[in-house]
Parts: sequence; structure tokens; C-alpha cells
Amino acid sequence: MIQLIELTKRFGQLVAVDRINLHVKPGEIFGFLGPNGAGKTTTIKMLTGLLKPTSGRALVDGYDVVARPMEAKRVIGFIPDQPFLYEKLTGVEFLGFIGSLFGMQKTEVGGRISDMLGLFELDGWADELIESYSHGMKQRLVMSAALLHNPKVIIVDEPMVGLDPKGINLVKRIFREKSEEGVSIFLSTHTLEIAQQLCHRLGIINEGKLIAMGTLSELMKALEHKTAQTGTLEELFLALTGKSLDE
Amino acid sequence: MGILAFLFWVVIFALFYKVLVYFKSIEILGEILLTKLMAVVFLTFFLMLTISNIITSLSTYFLSEDNRLILSAPVSTEKIYLAKYLITLGHSSWMVLLFGIPVFMAYGRVYGASVDYYLWLSVILLVFLLIPGGIGIMVSTALVNLVPANRAKGALVVLFVLLLAALYLFFRFLQPEKLINPERFSELVDYLAMMRLPTSPFLPSHWATRSLFPLVKGRFDDSMFYFLALLSTGLMSVLAGSWVCRFLYYRGWSRSYESRDVKGKRVRFLEGLFGFLLRPLHGPTEAMVIKDVRIFLRDTRQWSQLILLFALVVVYLFNFKALPLNKVPGMSFYLENVISFLNVGLAGFVLSAVAVRFIYPALSLEGKAFWVIMSSPIELRRIMWSKFWTSLVPLLLLAEFLIILSNTFLHVTQFMMVISTVTIFLITIAIVSMGIGIGAVYPRFRFEDVAQIHSGFGGMIYMIICVTFIGLIILLEAWPAYLIFMARMGRYSLGLLQWIEVILCLCLTVSLILVAIFVPIKIGLERLSRIEI
Repeated sequence: MIQLIELTKRFGQLVAVDRINLHVKPGEIFGFLGPNGAGKTTTIKMLTGLLKPTSGRALVDGYDVVARPMEAKRVIGFIPDQPFLYEKLTGVEFLGFIGSLFGMQKTEVGGRISDMLGLFELDGWADELIESYSHGMKQRLVMSAALLHNPKVIIVDEPMVGLDPKGINLVKRIFREKSEEGVSIFLSTHTLEIAQQLCHRLGIINEGKLIAMGTLSELMKALEHKTAQTGTLEELFLALTGKSLDE
Repeated sequence: MGILAFLFWVVIFALFYKVLVYFKSIEILGEILLTKLMAVVFLTFFLMLTISNIITSLSTYFLSEDNRLILSAPVSTEKIYLAKYLITLGHSSWMVLLFGIPVFMAYGRVYGASVDYYLWLSVILLVFLLIPGGIGIMVSTALVNLVPANRAKGALVVLFVLLLAALYLFFRFLQPEKLINPERFSELVDYLAMMRLPTSPFLPSHWATRSLFPLVKGRFDDSMFYFLALLSTGLMSVLAGSWVCRFLYYRGWSRSYESRDVKGKRVRFLEGLFGFLLRPLHGPTEAMVIKDVRIFLRDTRQWSQLILLFALVVVYLFNFKALPLNKVPGMSFYLENVISFLNVGLAGFVLSAVAVRFIYPALSLEGKAFWVIMSSPIELRRIMWSKFWTSLVPLLLLAEFLIILSNTFLHVTQFMMVISTVTIFLITIAIVSMGIGIGAVYPRFRFEDVAQIHSGFGGMIYMIICVTFIGLIILLEAWPAYLIFMARMGRYSLGLLQWIEVILCLCLTVSLILVAIFVPIKIGLERLSRIEI
């Protein structure tokens, strides 16, 4: 469903993403881990058409995001790390706008908006301006917008930032349900606990390079092999990214 | 672009130089007229700068995004005041400097002034700018304490009242009808006496004129006295602004933050009208337009800019209503029509000034939420055209309103009425297209304050291109219109050569307009397709 082939992004001399290859299957939740500045957000931005790759390709549902951006974007639901929104629209107006951008029929969109607002517990705030929402509410609204058109692929950058424990629980449940429906989820996070609980497979990126990829048990085995001892995902992450716990 | 800016300055300089040379050649009245004109220029600048400073400071001091960070930092109110004062002054004064400096340089050239005049001019202008800056900030701070900045309707009503008062004072100080209607004075002596009277001895514009004008002739006279009046008032206004801010800024900011509109109020009539007009458009384009209209109607930062638009329109129309051109000696039927032609140029200029604030920023106003559109399956072409249509309809209505009303005041012939309405129609389409296109070439999605968008380099370039374009169109149309008009007046037919000239000029006009409509959108689209956020 998602395929990255030798995907590279350079900013002048800096290689932010260096020849990444990976494949995410339908219904799979793929966790993309890495320290700050490793290249996670840059990869996600290339996947969603916000940045153009310097070389390589990114395919979503078989569509190249550079050559066929409209088709690729139509199947993506994107949740960025910072919920920058149109502050002078109400929640319901924003979702209506998103529905129109994704070509949803007016008859269909009203029902979907109600469903999404209900699902993310925003129905009491539907007619309030977004500027009066808290950070967590904005994040939930972005998630409603991303799921509104029933995407085949969900791309999430730091999904739990700003959410309260109840919100985090809700999002985890929704992601699992979506995965069972066959939706692929590409999830970038710092929170190793979330990755451990949710993801079927993990990829670890450091300094633009994908340095490890596999299921949690596969990665643990790799850690055992490297350090000759068992450990947690956190220890594995730190071992692979060359950091110590004190750092 | 630097060359274009320079050429623009040269054109303004040349135009004013011609006018000033003509005035200077008039016996007895010449010098008085020149002094009076300088006073009028300073008074106009003073009024426009005061209004502009009130509106800009509302934005920089109370609505800017960086306030939360700055106010939470250990920075004193005085330091915030001074920093924001400089930002406000820069944003609200650049246009005046752009258009004003060549005018004053033309004065220097006409009199063959020495370098002292130009040095003195730069000092006077700097000191002069301080006063409307201080006044603007004091008024906006007081205003926000009375009516919070986020309460769009309340703030607007107060601003409109202030503006009307300012306009009333402006016209009473200036009395433009007296300048041009000598019949109202029984004796020439009375007329001269009136002309010699200052606009008002207590206005900074008067002090600036009295301090600067003697220098064109290489004399100092009482320049220093008036300069000190200007300087002391300027410094005092900065200081008084600081006092006002010390006591009222935090309270005002806090009030404006507390009083945000929470409910998304809808203007159903306008939304319905747009919905009806946009029915032929594609779904996403329609959605973009409706979103932009809703945001515009709810955003105080943009609404407050409408005050400037209103001021421009009132001053513009009043000039045509109040000036009894038919009573001026030598003013003929022919001249009236020439003026109606120049009117198209002036209206174009007013429309450009409106467009630089409302249309040029259209794309940048997507702000940090631009990712929403960029990650959606909507073609960039549609985004550009949706912005185009949203901007075109209101600007066209304003353009035709201005031109038809001012032409009616001028009693122009039907021929000129048709030419001007068609010309302004085409010019407006080009102004909108250039605004959207150049706005996409210089996008600014990360801004703390909306004024930063149009007061940047791109805004200046847009303004210069607009004025140059309008000037070229007027020049290209003026010649054939003159030929046809003279043939009608003299009741003769145009010769073959003249017809060729007419057709050539019209072809060039149409080509220029087509280029101005399609090329900027194309360039903007190319730039936008390379954009990365």
C-alpha cells in the first residue's frame, strides 16, 4: 500500500533522508521511530506531497506521489504533528471544507461529519470557532478530518501530542479498528510505548538512514545479537541510534 | 525589479516636475500655489499615516501572534512598545515614502536646490513620521480598552466614527473647493490672502512645509523654529505613547484576548449569494471561495483594513464632487474629458492600493494551515483560480462604482463613459490576476501579523508593477481616444494613417492586458508547484 524506493531528500549539503526503501502492506500499522532530526517528518512530508523528493519514489496505493499526486492524495488521510488549522472556521465548517476538497458528495458529507464529531467527542463544539479549541481538541479535529473520506492509508506524525489519556486510548482503539478494516497506517512517533503497543512492524531511522526494520521480536533478536543481552525497545532504540540513556 | 522600482520613481518624479514647473511659471500665484501644494501633500500624508498607524498598531500590538511569547518573557512594556512602534512605523509608512520622496525631489529640482535641501528633507520626513506613529498607537490602545480588538463589529463602528471625524477635519482644513474656484472671492487680493493662509498653524503638516520649503531656495528663514516644533512634538508623541502603553497596553491586550468571538457567526445572505454565483464552479473551487469569504468576514485583522479602503474611496470621490472644474478659467468641455481619462488612471491606482492589501495577500493568508490544501487532492490551478474569482467580483464592483460615479460628477460624454468603464473593467481583471500571481511568487505563510505580507518586498513590487501597467494602458489609450475625440469635435473623418495608429494602439492595449491577466497567474502557478512546506 505504501512503498518507498530509494527515497532521498537533500537540503543543500544536508542529506535529510538517504535512500530509504520500505513497504507497508494493507492493514499494517508501521511505526517509524527515530531521534529528533532523524528525517521522520521529512519522509512523511514527501509521502503526503508537501515536499518533493530529490530522488527516488514514494508510491501510495500504487500511485507515485510526484507523478500522480491527485490520485495518491485522494487515498491518504494525513495527521500532522502540529494542528495548524483555519482558526476562523468552526469545526463543522472545517470538516465540510475537507469533504469538498476530497470530492465527497454533499448528501454524504453531512452524515460523515456527524459520525466523526461523535467519534472524537467534539459534537458539543461543532459550531464553535476552532480558535477557541484546546490543542488536544484541535488534534482530534485533524484526526476527524483525516478519517472523513475513509482513506486507504493513514499517515500520522506524532499522533499523541497534546492528547489526554482518554484521547490517547481513543486514538489507539480507532487505529486498531482501521487496521482491521484493511487501512494501512504509517505512524511516526517518539513514544516507544505507543509503537510497542500498536505497530505490527517498526522501522528505525537515524541521520536520514533506515538502520533497522522488522517486527518487535525481530528487532529484539537483532539487539541480542548486537549486545549479547536481552533488553527493552527503548534500549534497542538507544543502542541503534548511538545514544545512551543518560543522553 | 530594482530597475522597475527606479523607473517608477523616475515617472512620478517626471510627472510632478512637469506640474511644478507649470505652477512656478504662473505669475504672482506660482510660488503660493507651490507652497500650498506642498502643504496639501504633507496634510494628506499626515492623515493617511495616522489612519494607517491606527490600523497597523491594532494589528501589531494586539492581534499579532508573537504577543503571547513576548508578553510571557521578562521584557518591560516600554521595550515592547518601542520595538512594536518601529515595526508599526515601518509597515504603515513605506508606501508614503515610496510615493512621497520623488514628489519632494521634484521640488528640489524645480528650484535647483542644493544638497542641504535633500539632507533636510530626509531629516524632516523621519521626524514627521514619528507624530502619526505616536498618535496611531495611543488611539488604538485607548480603543482596545474601550472595545476589545477581537470584537469585530464594535471596533469597526468606533474606527468608522474616528475616520469620518478625521475626513471631516481634513476637508475643512484643506477647503479644496476654494483652491480652484476664484469666483467665490470678490477680489483677487482676497483670493491671494486665502491662499497664503496656512492649512492650520497647529498641524505638523504645516510645520513640515514651513521648515522644508525655504530650503528649496537655499534659505533657512524660520526653518529651525518649525523643525523644533516638529521634533519636540514627535518626541513627545513617542513618549506619550509610551506612557499610554505603560498603563493601558497589558489591560487592552488582556481584554482583547478574553473577548474572542466563540461562535462562528454566519452571514447567511452573503454566503447564499456566493453559493448561487458559484454554482457553475467545481466543488473544491466553490468550497475554497466560501471558506475564504467566511474567514474574511470573521477576521478583524482584515476588516480593519477596510477602513483604509473607505477613506481612499471617500477622498477620491469627494475630489470630483467638490472641485468645480467647470468654473475654473480655461476649463473646457475638452479638458473635462481629458480629466475623465486621467480618472481611469487614478481609479486604477486606488484599486491597486486596495488590491495590495486584500488580493496580493490572498494566498499567504492560508498561513500555517496551507498544509491542509497541499495535502488534499486539489490542483494548484484550482486554488489560484478560486482566489482569483473571490477577489475579482468585489474589486470589479468597486471599480465600476468609482468610475461611473466620478464620471457622473464630471459630466463626461457618453463616449468617454463607455471607454472608461470598459478600460477599468479590463484593468481590474489584470490587477487581480497580477495580485494573485505575484502573491504566489512571494508567498509568506509564516507571519505574526497580516501587515507583514503586503508591506514586504513582494507587495512593493506588486504595487510598482500595477502602477506601471496602469500608466502604460492610459498612454496607449490616450492617443487613439484623442484622435477620435478631436475628429468628432472638428467634425472630420480620420485618415488612413490615423486609423492605423488607432488600431495599433488598441491592439497593443489588448495584448498588454492579456499578458497582464495570464502571465502572472502562469508564473505564480509555476512557483507554487515548486513550493515546499
